[in-house]
Amino acid sequence: MDSPASQPDEPQQPVAGSPSDFLKNIVGKKVKVRIGSGIDYHGLLTCLDGYMNVALEDTEEWANGRLTAKYGDTFLRGNNVLYISALEDL
Amino acid sequence: MASTILPLELVDRCIGSPIWVLMKNEREFTGTLMGFDDYVNMVLKDVTEYEVTPEGITETGLGQTLLNGNNIAMLIPGGKGPRA
Repeated sequence: MDSPASQPDEPQQPVAGSPSDFLKNIVGKKVKVRIGSGIDYHGLLTCLDGYMNVALEDTEEWANGRLTAKYGDTFLRGNNVLYISALEDL
Repeated sequence: MASTILPLELVDRCIGSPIWVLMKNEREFTGTLMGFDDYVNMVLKDVTEYEVTPEGITETGLGQTLLNGNNIAMLIPGGKGPRA
């Protein structure tokens, strides 16, 4: 057998503190998503994936410190996302 | 060469410690490194974001943050940010 032995003891949960662990814990929380151009989207994070594609509810668009728009549901494509920041404790 | 370590092993040794992240553009972050993945997407806590402009540096405080690795250029373990 050339293949390495499988490791049944290896946890299926992501490593604590890792990006995938963060993504798991942040769903359902209020977040601020900043995109590359510096515009912020504040809202309730309803779902997301490993590409950092994000769906927000009750979204506010903030640009240059001013509220510029409000949307009900928003989808942000992951390639534009600079960061996802929690607005409440995880 | 038992003493050589991979670049990402160095980053792994920074988990739990302060780190200074410089992006490809004029944006920088400091915070405590919680974790990262193979793309060097990073989870930071107690974050300060810096936007460096000719007029000066603007700071933004953030809670726990997942930083997209796509625009990260440089990591400085223990770095205190652009003001230090």
